[in-house]
Amino acid sequence: MPIEKMIPLMTAGVCDTLYMTLVSTLFAYLLGFPLAILLVLTSPKGLKPIPVLYRIMDAIVNIFRSIPFLILLIMVIPLTRLIAGKAYGSTATIVPLVIAAAPYVARMIESSLLEVDPGVIEMAQSAGASIPTIVFKVLIPEAKTSLIVGATISTGTILGYSAMSGAVGGGGLGQIAISYGYNRYQTSVMLVTVVLLVILMQIFQIVGMTIARKTDKRTRE
Amino acid sequence: MALIELNHLTKTFVTKSQTVDALKDISLSIDKGDIYGIIGMSGAGKSTLVRCINYLERPTSGDVIIDGKNLSKLSDSELRQLRQQVSMIFQHFNLLQQRDVRGNIAFAMEIAGMKKPDIDKRIDELLDIVSLRERQHNYPSQLSGGQQQRVAIARALATNPKIILCDEATSALDPQTTQQILALLKDINQRMGITIVIITHEMSVVESICSHVAIIDEGVLAESGPVETIFSQPKTAAAKRLIFRNVQKAEKLIGDRMIRIVFDGQQADEPVIAQLINQCHIMVNIQFADTRNVGGKAFGQMVLQLPDDHLQQDKAIYFLKEKGLKVEEVKNHAH
Ligand SMILES: Nc1ncnc2c1ncn2[C@@H]1O[C@H](COP(=O)(O)OP(=O)(O)OP(=O)(O)O)[C@@H](O)[C@H]1O
Ligand SMILES: [Mg+2]
Repeated sequence: MPIEKMIPLMTAGVCDTLYMTLVSTLFAYLLGFPLAILLVLTSPKGLKPIPVLYRIMDAIVNIFRSIPFLILLIMVIPLTRLIAGKAYGSTATIVPLVIAAAPYVARMIESSLLEVDPGVIEMAQSAGASIPTIVFKVLIPEAKTSLIVGATISTGTILGYSAMSGAVGGGGLGQIAISYGYNRYQTSVMLVTVVLLVILMQIFQIVGMTIARKTDKRTRE
Repeated sequence: MALIELNHLTKTFVTKSQTVDALKDISLSIDKGDIYGIIGMSGAGKSTLVRCINYLERPTSGDVIIDGKNLSKLSDSELRQLRQQVSMIFQHFNLLQQRDVRGNIAFAMEIAGMKKPDIDKRIDELLDIVSLRERQHNYPSQLSGGQQQRVAIARALATNPKIILCDEATSALDPQTTQQILALLKDINQRMGITIVIITHEMSVVESICSHVAIIDEGVLAESGPVETIFSQPKTAAAKRLIFRNVQKAEKLIGDRMIRIVFDGQQADEPVIAQLINQCHIMVNIQFADTRNVGGKAFGQMVLQLPDDHLQQDKAIYFLKEKGLKVEEVKNHAH
């Protein structure tokens, strides 16, 4: 493929991939964050144990986490049509991406929140803090670094999923790799998409880790 | 009327594998202005007891009455309100790692709903009380243990509480820092009239600052009362075990005639044994000593090995009795 064709193709691919990844991550967090907080609070050792609710949410998260992404992608096509109007393209792919990523994100956040020192939570309780106050003034701020690291990892995973979705018409770099590299044997196109995906992943990683390190107050300067 | 009253408190933990009776029928009353020590061996139930006082742990049965309010009758929000009056400090300080010193002190006041300018003003006062002004913008990871505990004390004081509960507040600190923190607590007690409950397994903490002490043994309240009374005449085995930790061991080593002398409030600065040796020219061998200085008075006991000469033995015993000490024969286990 000539370079003057490659550049616009790749630019569009990168934009599509970024669009899918970032929008999906955003929605996955909008769903996953409240879910994670509920999991932490209602667990048997939580601040407000509700065993039945906890077990139901826990099971749902596990079920969605154990379905391979490609299969989920196909399974939810009817829902994707309902929400996005069509089953292919980058916008449509956001639906299965969010469904796959939200439980994953919820687990990441849950494990970050569980890392918070129980002694600090006890301190807050002893000072008369209510549960919402503990969540917003203790759990989230104290877990900040771990949450940022988790977000970095999650975004990387969602980037990977978005590329995978190219196999079934998902759009973005993944689709370019499949349709040119695999279907039309243009290995050079596939290589370029792979390099671009690696670069994107690196950028996410470096940005995320830098923010995490810069905002962490636990290390002596 | 007592500020804190515990009536027939019991706490049973039920886990899958076992049930633990952590507290068994504990009744205790703590007056305003007391520094009340609660001492016991590891696992005796001290932490459980102190956590029941602010209902972090709900007792299985019995009542906790603070300032006339029965905690079991309070709603959740009333209980949170009350906890602002009952601060707590911990063995591992439990500071917010992502907030600096000022932010940590502010925490309790934010919960109490104070306004930002008032909070800032109060922080300035508190920084002076705990001598941390030059550290105000440091984070906990940049502070020593003693400094971290002083931040925790400032936070505990911020809302002008009536009571401060300390669970092993000095156990993670070296002896010198421990003394500094205890002095600070004593100062707070005297200047602000705040009642302090101190959980500890260290005898020296009770000696340094407590006015009263309760001894907890395997979930049971063995003894309680003013420190001087309990230390000079421990009645229960548990109390004796804590107060005279190594006596039994010492008694086994006895060869010749031994006496035990008991100090229960003599002037601590009077060198009784030196006088016995110098003035009566009687040599004695100190086999065991566990005495302590509580507010300038000596408490504890000493086991002396006397010379073989009977006359000298009688003279020594006479001299010690003259000094107001209680003298007992120690049974000779060796023969
Ligand atoms: N949440 C819990 N579930 C089950 N058992 C518990 C729980 N908390 C405490 N216990 C048990 O209750 C008993 C008293 O524990 P507690 O922590 O009050 O002792 P402690 O006197 O504070 O000991 P230490 O000096 O080691 O801190 C122990 O046998 C402990 O195992
Ligand atoms: Mg304890």
